[in-house]
Amino acid sequence: MIYNFIQMNGYGIFVWSSFIITFLVCGIFYYKTRKSLKKYEKEFAKEIEALSIEQKKTVLENSKVASKVLSSFNKSI
Amino acid sequence: MFNLFNNSNIFGLIEVLINFINSIFFALLLVALSFALIFSPPDYLQGDSVRIMYVHVPAAWIGLASFTCISILSILNFLFKIKNFSLMTKSIAPIGLVFTCIAIVTGSIWGQPTWGTFWAWDARITSMVILAIFYLSFIAIHKFVSEESKAIKISSIVAIVGLVNVPIIKYSVEWWSTLHQPASIKITGTSSIHSSMLMPLLLMFFVLILYCALIFLMKYKTEIIRIKKKNLKRL
Amino acid sequence: MLTKKVKKRASLLVLFITATAIGAVLILKSLNKNILYFNSPTEIKISEDIDFNKRIRIGGMVKKNTLEITDQEIRFVVTDFKNEIKVSFKGTVPNLFAEEKGVVAEGKLQDKKFFIAERILAKHDENYMPPELKDIKKENVK
Repeated sequence: MIYNFIQMNGYGIFVWSSFIITFLVCGIFYYKTRKSLKKYEKEFAKEIEALSIEQKKTVLENSKVASKVLSSFNKSI
Repeated sequence: MFNLFNNSNIFGLIEVLINFINSIFFALLLVALSFALIFSPPDYLQGDSVRIMYVHVPAAWIGLASFTCISILSILNFLFKIKNFSLMTKSIAPIGLVFTCIAIVTGSIWGQPTWGTFWAWDARITSMVILAIFYLSFIAIHKFVSEESKAIKISSIVAIVGLVNVPIIKYSVEWWSTLHQPASIKITGTSSIHSSMLMPLLLMFFVLILYCALIFLMKYKTEIIRIKKKNLKRL
Repeated sequence: MLTKKVKKRASLLVLFITATAIGAVLILKSLNKNILYFNSPTEIKISEDIDFNKRIRIGGMVKKNTLEITDQEIRFVVTDFKNEIKVSFKGTVPNLFAEEKGVVAEGKLQDKKFFIAERILAKHDENYMPPELKDIKKENVK
């Protein structure tokens, strides 16, 4: 039965290759997107950390995004 | 007032949505795949090769829909100068390119057992290749034009010119004699696809749309952080 | 609500899109013959400048009860329900090639009624259904 499922009456190679290509590409694309997102988050958090205490305070008070990224970054460490 | 165009508010919403999609995605994918590969019947003529349709058709739809979105957002950005729209178009474009390429490749794999050839320069396939070229140039402009406002302007022109290609793709199978078959699913009138095959197709489409939404949100989040980072330097 | 600036941009945009659309239509019109992937038997019949040495594609339905398969060749009639062309072919055909199904043949015209094909492609139609359903439909017709 499993053999039949893989074989698909001779169309197996076409069906499986299309599905594998599709989901492989989607997987790689997801991984790359995630990687660049993490990279930007990390760089952003580091830049905020590098600021002087007063500057940091004003940034975190004014920007929700900055405080969110920073807190999630600190959590991940 | 809750301002939808405020990046801070959008940012929070994006995180909630990403978590939500992540929680349901794999269960839905499993259901869609089992319907597409196991529970749906083979076609009376094509046999099991009909299953390729379950990735090919949603990919083609997404490729077309993404470009339409990019064009409309570019037009709105041109009219009302809303900065967020250009961030959105930039986030959508890679998704559209990936799915257009998937549609072309899976279509070619399907063509071999069905038509007897991998490739034919008929109107539908050629116009899909042109769509991929439009996506490529859109992305290349954002990549290589260093001045951002200039890049947005040129890429908007590409997006608006490319919009003309969308109806050409849609109606190519009706206007000219092509090797590609006409559309099975019609907006008006009855579809010539049996419900036992339509169901897995729509399921698969839904799953892939969720995937696109996920990628879009992640890319959009990256763009917002990029902008914030730039502003930080100005401080 | 719309400012003057927006209105100005909108009219510019409309002008631009119309110009592009008209340009596209003109290009497509001039390329019309090249865009056609194949010619139907009727188009072959009415066209006056046929190059018999050039490889072309013809397409239509394989007419019912005309398919003859011998050791040397495959013969059938392509029809668009108005005109017909006889086709002769040596070689293998795709799985989906059958009577009353769409076909595209690539090769050379001998005269307006006879075509020697070098390659046969099957043209699929837009109907998708499970095999059991097809049998039911056939029985109903009988």
